[in-house]
Amino acid sequence: MSGLIQTPEEKFLHRKFSDYYSKSTVSLRGLEKREFGFGGWEKKIEFRHLAFKNETELRARLVSEAPLYISHSVAYYEFPDARPMPHKNWEGSDLIFDLDTDGSACGHVCGKFTCQKCLDAVKSDVVKLIEEFLLPDFGFSKSELAVNFSGSRGYHVHVVSDAVYDLDREARREIADYVSGTGLSFERLFWNDKKKFFGPLPSQGGFGGKFARAFVTRLSDDSFAVSIARKLRKPEEKEKLKSAISIGNWDNIGITNREKKLSEKFEEMKLTMAGRIDANVTADVSKLIRMPDSIHGGSGFAAKRLSAPDAISEFEPMRHAPVFGGAGSAQLRVKATEAIPALNIRDFSFGPIPSGETRELPEACAIYLICKKAACISP
Amino acid sequence: MADLLFCSHYPFSSAAKSYVSERGMEIVSSYIEKAEERVSEAIVSGKVRKVPQLSEAQEEELALYAIARMIVSCANNRYLINRYAVAEAKKTSDYLSSDASARPEYVDAVAAEFGIKFEKAGAYFLVPLGKYLTYTPRSTDYKLANREVAAGKVKVSSHERVRILEEAVKKKIERELPIRAAFPDEIKAAGARVLAMLPKLESVVVRVGQENYPPCVRRMIEELSLNVNLPHTARVALAIYLVRAGVATDKIADIFRGAPDFSEKTTHYQVEYLRTKGYMMPSCATMDSYGVCVADCRCGTPLNYRAGIHGRRLKNSEVSNEGSFDKTPAAAKEEGKK
Repeated sequence: MSGLIQTPEEKFLHRKFSDYYSKSTVSLRGLEKREFGFGGWEKKIEFRHLAFKNETELRARLVSEAPLYISHSVAYYEFPDARPMPHKNWEGSDLIFDLDTDGSACGHVCGKFTCQKCLDAVKSDVVKLIEEFLLPDFGFSKSELAVNFSGSRGYHVHVVSDAVYDLDREARREIADYVSGTGLSFERLFWNDKKKFFGPLPSQGGFGGKFARAFVTRLSDDSFAVSIARKLRKPEEKEKLKSAISIGNWDNIGITNREKKLSEKFEEMKLTMAGRIDANVTADVSKLIRMPDSIHGGSGFAAKRLSAPDAISEFEPMRHAPVFGGAGSAQLRVKATEAIPALNIRDFSFGPIPSGETRELPEACAIYLICKKAACISP
Repeated sequence: MADLLFCSHYPFSSAAKSYVSERGMEIVSSYIEKAEERVSEAIVSGKVRKVPQLSEAQEEELALYAIARMIVSCANNRYLINRYAVAEAKKTSDYLSSDASARPEYVDAVAAEFGIKFEKAGAYFLVPLGKYLTYTPRSTDYKLANREVAAGKVKVSSHERVRILEEAVKKKIERELPIRAAFPDEIKAAGARVLAMLPKLESVVVRVGQENYPPCVRRMIEELSLNVNLPHTARVALAIYLVRAGVATDKIADIFRGAPDFSEKTTHYQVEYLRTKGYMMPSCATMDSYGVCVADCRCGTPLNYRAGIHGRRLKNSEVSNEGSFDKTPAAAKEEGKK
């Protein structure tokens, strides 16, 4: 691979990445059973079907080749380097959740440089996934969850648990659909029995319970309550309905058009109840995913492994993920090849930089711009 | 548990296995005959008869079950195995339903065979999430999103509990067969006879000139015709290939007809959707990651396969001509001569 390195930027990154891997340690559960993929300047996975016997062997390869992207299979195989796929003899896989920002949380289009607002939005998506799905619904323990920054603008949650180890694609698709609320149907949660209208109890598990709890909470909001029935303005009517819902009776006050109204609320509220994940990643048992603590070649940031799922609240990608030196480190002269917005990396603020202008920047900032292909090394 | 009644109801259980291995089993001609009947009945009517409550019949049941498995193994045909597994599982389900009230400990023992522990919750049962996902059919009834899920457990009715165990039995039999061993000639002959019954029964395999298709596509079509449940990603890839190969939607639907969860309407809708959206064919690398790549053709994308083996001439003369894929290479050659 090193024979292909041509541009000064590639040469420079190769040296820096190699340096990082020579000083860092690699640890990965079941490393010898994983398939690895390496990527370069053009493609995130250029070579796959690679396998390593142990950490020493993998690290030696990372130091010598210093690929821009390093991915490993979520799967464990008997023969991870065999081809084609069925010859690998799949044994099981971690369950993966890939959360990314689409760069729209901020209301404008972030493009290459994801803004703080979008980074924060995806962070709260991770918290929601863990606290509203993985722990209470799926019953995983915190020790079974490993969270890492993707190295770019999202997060990966790896679930390592015997309960899901040998689930096939279709089963994992069900889990993904559950989280994203796909296939959720009002008709399956509510039913008519002549006069009465039954629905989920706030105490029950699953989306039914989520909806019942959210609905009861929102009844406190008068405009919401009135949109169901005018008489719900009165506190005593509200209480009457709430206590009926608590035993699964969703209409003891005579709501006109109740099915239509409630199903509209359900459709509207399911969007906020559902989690935002990439369902295809969760379903893919042989997905290659960024190796935690490796460098992401599109940012020069580490796919930083968090010490515990809760640590995410304190984690700031622009501050904690950069691998290379911040303010006070060696400076590097780079020339912007496109307009660069104002940024703050490792507590160093710089920009905006108009296209074509040159700046001396701390390594972390310069490497970030080079990796983004927004700047080149300036002599 | 040396409980003969239990063993005869659930001859696949480890209790039944040890019952047989302790006492030994004789393979006599009359048993082989009856076992062959059992297999052919399973294939024709999809059913296996229940056992009379007589200890001789129960002992015999264990022998018949074992011999039937040998016969099916000799026939060694995936369709036959799957159909036989369905019939045996159906019988198990009947027993489970009646045992649920009369001998609830039997149901627990069968569940334990599959490492499942159902927790009682009022009139319902709680089943661990992983087991639920492994042993429930992928249908709207069992869609996880609409179920009560809490603390890693899914709530199911007592009927659904039986359904889950039925599926587990079916999967177990499908997975264990064929048994690779040398069998007596009499059993081999029985295997050949039940195999000979098949062509009349098997659904009509749709001919779409599969000889020209890449191995991965051929394999997916073959699996569908054997009622294998292809994963979603594989189905999409197959549909895109067929659309790109110029096969008409009706014909594509015929290919998918073998899917256990086939729906005419859904298939038409989805194929048309792929067609109008002009989806790209996944590359070989993607097919590989889906787990559907079966050969090392090095063609980049399955679409290039035909061009690779037949050269440009065939491609030029046939592509963009709907129905051209229906022709066998011989027919295409004939046409070329004209």
